[in-house]
Amino acid sequence: MDHQHTHGSSPRELQMARSMCWHCQSEVSGEYFCDRCVKVQPVSKELDYFTCLGFPRRLTIDQRQLEAKFYELSRAFHPDFYQNKSAAEQTISLGNSALLNTAYRTLRDPIERAEYLLDLEAGSVKQIRNSPPADLFEEILELQDTLNEYRAAGRTSETESTLRAKLQSERNMLEQRQRDMEVALQHLFVQWDALQDRGEATSQARAERNRILKEMRENLSNRTYVKNIVSDLVSTVG
Amino acid sequence: MAYSDKVVDHFNNPRNMGSFKKDEEGVGTGMVGAPECGDVMKLQIKVQNDTIVDAKFKTFGCGSAIASSSLATEWLKGKTIEEAQKIKNTDIVQELNLPPVKIHCSVLAEDAIKAALADYQKKADGALVDAK
Repeated sequence: MDHQHTHGSSPRELQMARSMCWHCQSEVSGEYFCDRCVKVQPVSKELDYFTCLGFPRRLTIDQRQLEAKFYELSRAFHPDFYQNKSAAEQTISLGNSALLNTAYRTLRDPIERAEYLLDLEAGSVKQIRNSPPADLFEEILELQDTLNEYRAAGRTSETESTLRAKLQSERNMLEQRQRDMEVALQHLFVQWDALQDRGEATSQARAERNRILKEMRENLSNRTYVKNIVSDLVSTVG
Repeated sequence: MAYSDKVVDHFNNPRNMGSFKKDEEGVGTGMVGAPECGDVMKLQIKVQNDTIVDAKFKTFGCGSAIASSSLATEWLKGKTIEEAQKIKNTDIVQELNLPPVKIHCSVLAEDAIKAALADYQKKADGALVDAK
């Protein structure tokens, strides 16, 4: 009767499905409520946010579906509805609501979602610490020098206007790069999801998985560096 | 959160800001970044007879990151390679009174020191091979 999926359902999901109702001790087949006594069940803190919200571990998520699920569960767990229930149920409703909120906030934003997936899939960020993008760093440090020069230059001086023009064109180029990186990230999202959907366990699939994760890590890191220097440029030269 | 006086001092009067030419003899360059906050740090040492005779840095980041790297260059000057290896981020935290949320800045500075030392070593080893 144990239907073994080839992929998509992690051991954790099965574990949750098999756990026992804290109240009536029957096996809980419902996800969030006991099927027999209808008591609310604690959502395990071990669960990842995707599973918690009933979504597969994919990077493309339908925002409306996610929101609908969040509202549905928010209503189901909301502490207001548990005021007249037992202390145990009140505690569970509080814990579930908190977890649900964090899960939703994380998955709602594509960048946070990707960062979270990287944490899940590759352990902590440091484990796939890539070699630092030296060229980008040099560029950023050079730009910072130019920014300092510009700040020090007297208003309406010729140097000031030359530097301003230079910084503005740098800004445009960096903003273009941000857009390119955005597109590249979207592309990686699609690749990741397709790989998961295929569910292959070959060494080739593993290599592909690691490549996608590494490129995603690089993309997200560089994104932060570029974002910081761009916001500096914007606040200084507008 | 307020910065400690020492951080403010390093931030307002950064020591040893600047850079050496990367390919200059005896120069080791460490280039590191913290993807979590987007800070970038470049730290360089100039070595003669196993002793660091000069150090420079450039940092793009918050006050604590600037202070950490500024302090690191001050400490590096006059130290031998071996002594420099022993500089720990916790020393920087203590000296600058960094709050917990800024500890990663000191970690970045330690990473930069390690990277600069490794780069110097790599170049020195390479020169040795060439000489043979």
